[in-house]
Amino acid sequence: MTDKPRIGLYVCHCGINISATVDVDAVAKYAQNLPNVHVARTYSYMCSEPGQALIKKDIREQGLNRVIVASCSPRMHEKTFRKAVQEEGLNPYFLEIANIREQCSWVHEDMTEGTAKAKKLVASAVAKVRLLEPLESTEVDAEPAALIIGAGIAGIQAALDIADAGFKVYLVEKSPSIGGRMAQLDKTFPTLDCSACILTPKMVDCASHPNIELLTYAKVEEVDGFVGNFTIKVRKKARYVDVDKCTGCGECAKACRLANRITSEFDEGMGKRSAIYMPFPQAVPAKYTIDPENCLMLTRGKCGKGPKCEEACQAGAINFEQQDEIVEFKVGAIIVATGFDTFDASRKPEYGYSNYPNVITGMEMERLVSSSGPTGGDIKVFNGEEEIVPKEIAFIKCVGSRDASVGNEYCSRVCCMYTAKQAHLLREKIPDAKIRVYYIDVRAFGKGYEEFYDRVRRENVRYIRGNPSEIFKRGKKLVVKVEDTLTATPLEDEVDMVVLAVGLEPRADMREVMDLLRLSQSGDKFFMEAHPKLRPVDTATDGVFLAGCCQGPKDIPDTVAQAKGAAASAMVPLASGKVTINAQVATVNEATCRGCGYCVSVCPYSAIELVTVNRFGHELEVARVNEALCKGCGSCSSVCLSDSIQPKSFRDRQILPQIAALGGTR
Amino acid sequence: MDLEQLRKTAAEVVAKDDVKYLIGWKKGTYGYRVSPVFIENEADTEDLIFSPLCTANLVTYLTLVEKPPLPRGQKPDTRKVALMVKGCDSRAVAQILVEKGIEREQIIVIGCPCPGVIDVNLLVAKYPEVAENTELKWSGEDFVLIRGGEEIPVKREEVLAEKCRLCRYPNPVVSDIMIGEPVKPWQTEEDTGVSELEGKNVAERWEYWEEQFARCIRCYSCRNVCPLCYCEDCILDRLNPTWINRAVNFSENTAFHIARAFHLAGRCVECGECERVCPVKIPLGRLNRKLAREVRDNYGFEPGLDPDGKPFQASYKPDDPEDFIL
Repeated sequence: MTDKPRIGLYVCHCGINISATVDVDAVAKYAQNLPNVHVARTYSYMCSEPGQALIKKDIREQGLNRVIVASCSPRMHEKTFRKAVQEEGLNPYFLEIANIREQCSWVHEDMTEGTAKAKKLVASAVAKVRLLEPLESTEVDAEPAALIIGAGIAGIQAALDIADAGFKVYLVEKSPSIGGRMAQLDKTFPTLDCSACILTPKMVDCASHPNIELLTYAKVEEVDGFVGNFTIKVRKKARYVDVDKCTGCGECAKACRLANRITSEFDEGMGKRSAIYMPFPQAVPAKYTIDPENCLMLTRGKCGKGPKCEEACQAGAINFEQQDEIVEFKVGAIIVATGFDTFDASRKPEYGYSNYPNVITGMEMERLVSSSGPTGGDIKVFNGEEEIVPKEIAFIKCVGSRDASVGNEYCSRVCCMYTAKQAHLLREKIPDAKIRVYYIDVRAFGKGYEEFYDRVRRENVRYIRGNPSEIFKRGKKLVVKVEDTLTATPLEDEVDMVVLAVGLEPRADMREVMDLLRLSQSGDKFFMEAHPKLRPVDTATDGVFLAGCCQGPKDIPDTVAQAKGAAASAMVPLASGKVTINAQVATVNEATCRGCGYCVSVCPYSAIELVTVNRFGHELEVARVNEALCKGCGSCSSVCLSDSIQPKSFRDRQILPQIAALGGTR
Repeated sequence: MDLEQLRKTAAEVVAKDDVKYLIGWKKGTYGYRVSPVFIENEADTEDLIFSPLCTANLVTYLTLVEKPPLPRGQKPDTRKVALMVKGCDSRAVAQILVEKGIEREQIIVIGCPCPGVIDVNLLVAKYPEVAENTELKWSGEDFVLIRGGEEIPVKREEVLAEKCRLCRYPNPVVSDIMIGEPVKPWQTEEDTGVSELEGKNVAERWEYWEEQFARCIRCYSCRNVCPLCYCEDCILDRLNPTWINRAVNFSENTAFHIARAFHLAGRCVECGECERVCPVKIPLGRLNRKLAREVRDNYGFEPGLDPDGKPFQASYKPDDPEDFIL
């Protein structure tokens, strides 16, 4: 800062976005008289080519060494203008944005007020820009590999894209097989493709791809490092089956003493499996796993005279001594594709899900209607007395979605269409059934969705607008109590089966992933993206991306699209091989740091550690910032009692004059 | 307290090779005065006392130690420091440990369960000080004054320090060696002694503190004596940026005290030293205890109880209140 500051100040009209409530010429005129301001101009769109050219020309001809652009939020165009000033040889961090759009013109209606505030914002930027220091960005190498957490359709698609581009992919899945929720579905709307038929080829591709390493029945335990250089620790849980020997023949499962006695998670609790199992026939890897919570050998240490599975296995793959295995590797980027939980229908007790066996959820319906499901595709339900083929069926939509009483105000985006699809499938299986759908609104927004919804209605599926208040039993029938709100008629609909179109919820165990990767949640409790519109697959943690329903409810086409987007974003550091480190990072004054470690505890990015230094012969601990991890958020600075850690460009001595200028004193 | 036992234990401690010195209390030169003492050899342990006059918190000496540059090749003195603590003092030790201000293995804590110490101002007001050194002893729930061979009983409530009246932790929470038997807490219910002040309206409270802060002479005794104000370079001394101007006036004084109170929120262990040393008697304890109550009520946190715990400012619970966020 040897040169006397020569500030160029540019006030943007932003069309009429700013100029409608801020007298931009008055602001420029006012700024002209502020200390060190050499030139102040206005222009209709500063971010446009001619707008940037204006700045460049002034830097060249007027010898400016500081630039202020009074325009929109720095989140929009700070980078644009930094690049512009850098092209003229100025340090890019000698630029300050005065946000007179989001923080001024958009929140004021009165021109006088708006102009007065814009003047203050500009004065405060002038007070700060003089004190800015030149900063240099640095680059580090990136590991050409990616970690994908969750191997549903999102994880699978992202893995295939990244692997096809030539990078190594570690695909971690907590259950014994990849496939996720899509593997459980019967058909997909609106094309009625068989879900398994379109998914399984991709699963097989994953397994056989030379660049993909599948880590199934595994859990990410530790994530260290930063974009380009993450070190990952994964726990591969013991399967008690040697996967190299297991041929997937299934003799063990047939022999198991608990065969057909354990509730199958894959069949949503409606089917049975053994203690040694493969979740579904097309599972990848096609290997068996022993369920340690149920297996007699593992829970009691004894299984008759000896475990039957061991006897039955010709390959000798059963190994009760197997231990968990920790795998460690390095990646440059991470994609989170952990999916969703379905809403627990027992949280709406008025629908009697816990009491009546013929009240089922949409997910259970998927298994019931599936030819590989527990009934082989026959629609049969138990009405409390006998097993029947339901002839009168009611669907209830928005169960656990758009419902503030259960805390989910969002629309789950798939229930309208899966309900339409299931109604269609039931119509095919039971042609004479009376099918009614109770809805609040029908949201058929995707490609071919409205057409499909029309088709289903033409198939004599009655849509009745009304949100049922209660389901109760009358004789052998269930009664759906509802008001048809289009005709204002109270109805009591007697049916044989009710399907609750349950919504999607964030994973119950998502906090573990949040803590691991320092992610945050949005209002709906799903993972939060970096920007809802412009960075929908990024997160606040560099190098960590989101795909699929962990970010918010979405259907399969949207999930695949987002997975491809996340894959493309994750490949940016992998392909360039370099990661640019933000220069506006926290910096420690080691001479005053007292090594208390408060900053270490509060840092949301684990960017600070305590290191031992020698201060004139005395060994003591001080904080040190890993610049590659630091985001410059300033949390550390807020807890530091000795003011020893501060973000560059946002040091106290830089922002206090800025604040003082807003107050109009000092 | 058995003084013989104290002195014997102290002698054993200082006799160890890896102990630099022991910090304790000894008789002062006149009247009710008691001084801190740094004992390096066994013989000097005869000077040690522990009486209701030992109000001072010795923990502050742990962090006051200067670390001058060492000549090249010379190793720093890493011998341990032993110190005597009352219940309240021990909370300061615990809090400093949480903040990594000292290392646990660098100190030997000699815990002294404390039946309550006096506020010397109250004692002087009631029983004027004479030049002759005067002893005060615990006697049942009260005290007894020994002067010129004469024993004068003194009622507890007449002279007890305010911090002791509110004390819930008379027994050390951290100690390596405990001298004497634990005592029953005088107070079990949380009382910060600020209820009366809290009952007043904002204008009245402002008036109260205006009167207090206007008197401050900015001698910084409160900061210097505080066991938890141990930054080598206090931000309130900095010139760039100047958080607090040097001028001694109501505005800057207020800024100083509020800044200090905020730096102590969730850290102050209510040892009362700031109040004791204030030459103009500003009731700083009330300010700190008010913030302590806020922290306790809102976040369920009390500093200086768990030496292995996490510091309040640097810990987070998902259900922390956030209704103050606009």
